[in-house]
Amino acid sequence: MRSRIAAPAVLVVVVALALLVPRLGDYYIHVFALVLINVILAASLRPSLTCGQLNIGHSGFMCVGAYTSALLAKHYALPFELTLLSGALLAAVVGLAVGYPALRLRGVYFAMVTVAFVEVIRLIAAIWVPLTRGNSGLSGIPKPNLLGMTLTTKASQYYLVVGLAAVTLFVLWRLERSRLGLTWKSIGLADNLAQSLGVDIAAHKLLAFMVGCFFAGVAGAFYAHFIRFLFPPEFGFLVATNILVYNFVGGRGHFVGPIFGAIFLSLLSEPFRGSAYETIFFSIAMLMTILFLPGGIITLPEKLAGLRWGRAASAPTPSPAG
Amino acid sequence: MPLLETRKLTKRFDGLAAVNDVDMAVEEGEIVGLIGPNGAGKTTCFNLLSGFLPPTAGTIRFAGEDITRMRSHRIVRRGLVRTFQLTTLFQEMTALENVLLGLHLHSTRSLRQVLLSRRPFPRGEIERSREVLEFAGLSAHVDHLAKNLPHGHQRILGIAMALAARPRLLLLDEPVTGMNLDESGRVMSLVKTIRDQGTTILLVEHNMKAVMGTCERIVVLNFGQKLVEGTPAEVSTNPKVIEAYLGAGLADARR
Repeated sequence: MRSRIAAPAVLVVVVALALLVPRLGDYYIHVFALVLINVILAASLRPSLTCGQLNIGHSGFMCVGAYTSALLAKHYALPFELTLLSGALLAAVVGLAVGYPALRLRGVYFAMVTVAFVEVIRLIAAIWVPLTRGNSGLSGIPKPNLLGMTLTTKASQYYLVVGLAAVTLFVLWRLERSRLGLTWKSIGLADNLAQSLGVDIAAHKLLAFMVGCFFAGVAGAFYAHFIRFLFPPEFGFLVATNILVYNFVGGRGHFVGPIFGAIFLSLLSEPFRGSAYETIFFSIAMLMTILFLPGGIITLPEKLAGLRWGRAASAPTPSPAG
Repeated sequence: MPLLETRKLTKRFDGLAAVNDVDMAVEEGEIVGLIGPNGAGKTTCFNLLSGFLPPTAGTIRFAGEDITRMRSHRIVRRGLVRTFQLTTLFQEMTALENVLLGLHLHSTRSLRQVLLSRRPFPRGEIERSREVLEFAGLSAHVDHLAKNLPHGHQRILGIAMALAARPRLLLLDEPVTGMNLDESGRVMSLVKTIRDQGTTILLVEHNMKAVMGTCERIVVLNFGQKLVEGTPAEVSTNPKVIEAYLGAGLADARR
């Protein structure tokens, strides 16, 4: 199978390119570190999407990871390894608390709960001033450290996020290729059939959701120590929709889809970062994909090959999501 | 003690009794047919037995255990596995992957193995899945996507998946509906082989030829109630059954 070699090959190329970035200077290091954070977020949304759950609240879990890690490091001077793990685990626990009741809901109702969740988390971060400093933002977050050494240069921090992204992608990829991944996919394709084969649908959906939340927490923790300033609106609904858009634009048919989507869109939207145009850009990207490339960017080579041979490329059927 | 036994099994939808006071028993090793005109409550009955719908009243016992309000994935774990009407498959997966999912309950892998093993699936599971496909006569289609298989093969794949779950009792919902004579003959002989290997079978089917030729005992439902029960010969000559299928007028005409 072509895809069996494609995934590792693409990963190798991406990692190789990623390691070359620091030669380009601090601005590019900063941009690419943000790209990798987005890659972690996009890839970690995939397990849930595979189960057919439309999660539009992923940035809320990133927020939990970010504040947890930042506060532990700032007030208790804990090492980054520990604060990262705490942030990720707390994100997963919050995922359990939100997911347990919400995963009984289907399709758009589940999506609405996640939208509500992300706003609730943002508001908690904005209102709980004694802890989070609210909308004045949390500053003075220490730089990340590793094995007791503080990573002072941007380049060293960048290598850290390369490592985190690599580990995240490796774990998620192995899970997807295992029986667990096949089971998640089966729930997304036909949940009643999966149930008839003995799959505990609720438990598997919850597990997929929590795995995603865990890695969103990882992304958040790194973000906190990299930007060193946390501001509640940075974790709002729009960020969550962007993570979803990475998945759709990149393509949901293969593991590399969200990774491509995150890299492609983050780089392309870089000139608009933080401005109102960013939202417009993402909306257009999403619309164009739905209209012209329903399988996402990863199906582009297939489509082009189809055009070149003068026959209509067979439209890839998008797998149902919620 | 029968393998499966229902007592006064009832399901009402807003006052309409889709299944009404049905007492039914299936002995280990039997092939039992559940027949009846359209809307007689056969599929509802299946949904109750497999835990996809909760009954309004009555009890279901399987292998001596009360499974009346058990959730469906737990019922499967006890060895009662169903298939679906129509082609319910994981369309975007290969035949092999479909059957691998049937092995869901019999798979053990630790997280360490998932993360570090060279193979995504243990060799034993792949082999077992191939065996099941071969048994079902689908060896040639192992790596084909389910949606690309011909209709008859899709239906057989549905049975193969259920088989992989190693059922004690297999509920087949219209296994040969929409098949040509050749295909339905093949499926019914597969059903007999499955039974001969030790799996009890309860099937719903509209194709009378297939039912009469395969089942040892037949339960007839009409308007949610059990009409009669007996051997194919008894049932097919029973005036009540003829009346249910053909209407009173025709039954009178035959007399």
